Amino acid sequence: MKEDFAAAKGWLERIKELPIEQPVAVMNVCGGHERSLTQLGLRGVLPANVKLIPGPGCPVCVCPEEDLADAIALALTGKVTLVAFGDMLRVPINAAKGEVRSLAEARAKGADVRPISAPQEAVSIAAAAPARPVVFFAAGFETTTAPVAAMLAQGVPENLSVLLAARLTWPAVDMLLASGDAALDALIAPGHVAAVMGASEWGFVAERYHLPVAVVGFSANSLLAALYSVLRQKLAGKPFLDNCYPELVAPEGNQRAQSLLAEVMEVTDANWRGIGVIPRSGFSLRGAWKRFDARARFEFFALPRRRAGEMPPGCDCAAVVLGKKQPDQCRLFGTACTPQNPVGPCMVSDEGACHIWWQGGVRAAA
Amino acid sequence: MDEMITLAHGNGGRRMRALIEEIFAPALGRPDTQADAAPIALPEGEIMVTTDGFTVQPARFPGGDIGALSVHGVVNDLAVSGATPLYLTLAALIEEGTSIALLRELVASLGKAAREAGVRVVAGDTKVLPRGQGGGVYFTLTGLGVRTPGCPPGLSAIRPGDKLLVSGPVGDHGIAVMLAREDFGLRGDVRSDAATVLPLTLALLPLPGLRFMRDPTRGGLATVAHEIALALKLGLELEEAAIPVRESTQAVCAMLGYDPLYLACEGRVVAVLAPEEAEAALAAWQALPGGAEAAIIGTIGAAPGPVVLRTPIGGSRVLPELEEDALPRIC
Repeated sequence: MKEDFAAAKGWLERIKELPIEQPVAVMNVCGGHERSLTQLGLRGVLPANVKLIPGPGCPVCVCPEEDLADAIALALTGKVTLVAFGDMLRVPINAAKGEVRSLAEARAKGADVRPISAPQEAVSIAAAAPARPVVFFAAGFETTTAPVAAMLAQGVPENLSVLLAARLTWPAVDMLLASGDAALDALIAPGHVAAVMGASEWGFVAERYHLPVAVVGFSANSLLAALYSVLRQKLAGKPFLDNCYPELVAPEGNQRAQSLLAEVMEVTDANWRGIGVIPRSGFSLRGAWKRFDARARFEFFALPRRRAGEMPPGCDCAAVVLGKKQPDQCRLFGTACTPQNPVGPCMVSDEGACHIWWQGGVRAAA
Repeated sequence: MDEMITLAHGNGGRRMRALIEEIFAPALGRPDTQADAAPIALPEGEIMVTTDGFTVQPARFPGGDIGALSVHGVVNDLAVSGATPLYLTLAALIEEGTSIALLRELVASLGKAAREAGVRVVAGDTKVLPRGQGGGVYFTLTGLGVRTPGCPPGLSAIRPGDKLLVSGPVGDHGIAVMLAREDFGLRGDVRSDAATVLPLTLALLPLPGLRFMRDPTRGGLATVAHEIALALKLGLELEEAAIPVRESTQAVCAMLGYDPLYLACEGRVVAVLAPEEAEAALAAWQALPGGAEAAIIGTIGAAPGPVVLRTPIGGSRVLPELEEDALPRIC
């Protein structure tokens, strides 16, 4: 779909005409947004006072290290087939030298680890080998978690269980804003998450924190329209929730997906890697679905390992996820940490800011 | 004939003779299957030789198969070097258990592609590998051709300000093979672009401003851009909006996180021309059946620097060198 860029160029002209005299920091919540705007080279064409900051929108990056370590240890027992979304496989845990540091390394050691791209593949793998326990390590935001809920609701083979590391996006933003040390002046909210959960979920940014916010799609047109909206809001001093992705996002979202989520899962407090526990920001299986919880089927805590903290020494992923550092402000960026030899999770995932900047040609720390 | 290849088809006896006489010889224009070596006649000019192995999985994909692809791959390497391809030799490595019907189809496709490209298969060999030691069917081809010496002059002739052209949409082959291989549940209409590029290269050879041609196979257009920039130690700028990419290929790439600029083509040419002849080259390509969507896509820089992509919104980003091959065994 080669986009028609005429409309996008129009928004860009209007942004350039705005009297932006003070720096305005706009955070994007979603890794997909960071990828789109980096690929478009938007930072280079916007007025110098408009700063675009990547935010917490990378589920792989915030997946707790202990969950990942548990998944690796479980796979290494050789007694299960472990399936996970492809970008999880190379995420390193903070293990000592010589220990297995990722699911990919576990696979190289003979563990049965398989990448999948959709929940239904986990069902197929389990159905093809009914005698073999299959564990689906499901990390993701609402956009991934709703299909996992749908998968369970439709019925899955008894040998399939789920190691759930699902997270809600808005509580992380809420926590960041409540902390008071977030250096941001406006927010662009994730379009696909809002398509599932509803645009109105993001109203709190304007109402409680008096910051401009817009729900955004992934095209140049939608991104620039949203940037124009939040900059205008900022200049006018009248923040509100704008929906710049109305073709896909309704105020109330996808209610069928939400009711499936509510049926299969309940919202719980959850740990975010390097950030800490955020209230009511995760999911666990509820009711009849509890028996598909991998934590109920396997004795994870019997698996020994040395813990040395969640992040490898020197890794600034947690600060990058919270928008407190830019990827190239981490001193490991491009030197010790590259996509070939990632130290932190942000350099692995397609939604990780460090990986996106590297792909966009940024090669060294600033 | 049997239904499947067995080790006996490689034993030098009756079954091997039947395999060669019934499948290979008729499809390849009945070369002399008794001789140990074939005599060939070559016209005046610089003799050019190339060799390439083909292992694509699966053997058949929308828009092509390993038979035709092998011919196109070798013919195209000669063509972008300025040569007119004349002869091919073929080594076929066939795994035990391969269906004879499939092999027949692949060899027929190879023969047809050779005839269409005007080349003769003059020598060949078959081997059968035990089950599990091969991947179905592999072909290795050597190609011989002849060109006017020094035409095109090559990478070292490229100058700052020269223009880059591409003969058609990029990335179709990579996506077609991937969709045929992986069950993504996507129903795309993406077909491989695999084809001989000989008409395209012949059309540019008369232009004195022609510097260099290459077919963007593994690593795609971005990799050819890097090869040029690296050889010249000059920067290079590509116009994203000018680079032809089919909508269907773009859509699959967007969904799966691939960049079409890094995906293989098997029927496209990248050419570098002096700026004053870029339009003439473009017109020559656009007049040909395989060149209707050709475009001028970039400029060689005046100073050392990265390969930069100008985005349609007026921004720019560095196009990094391909780090890891997302799609192994695409050719």
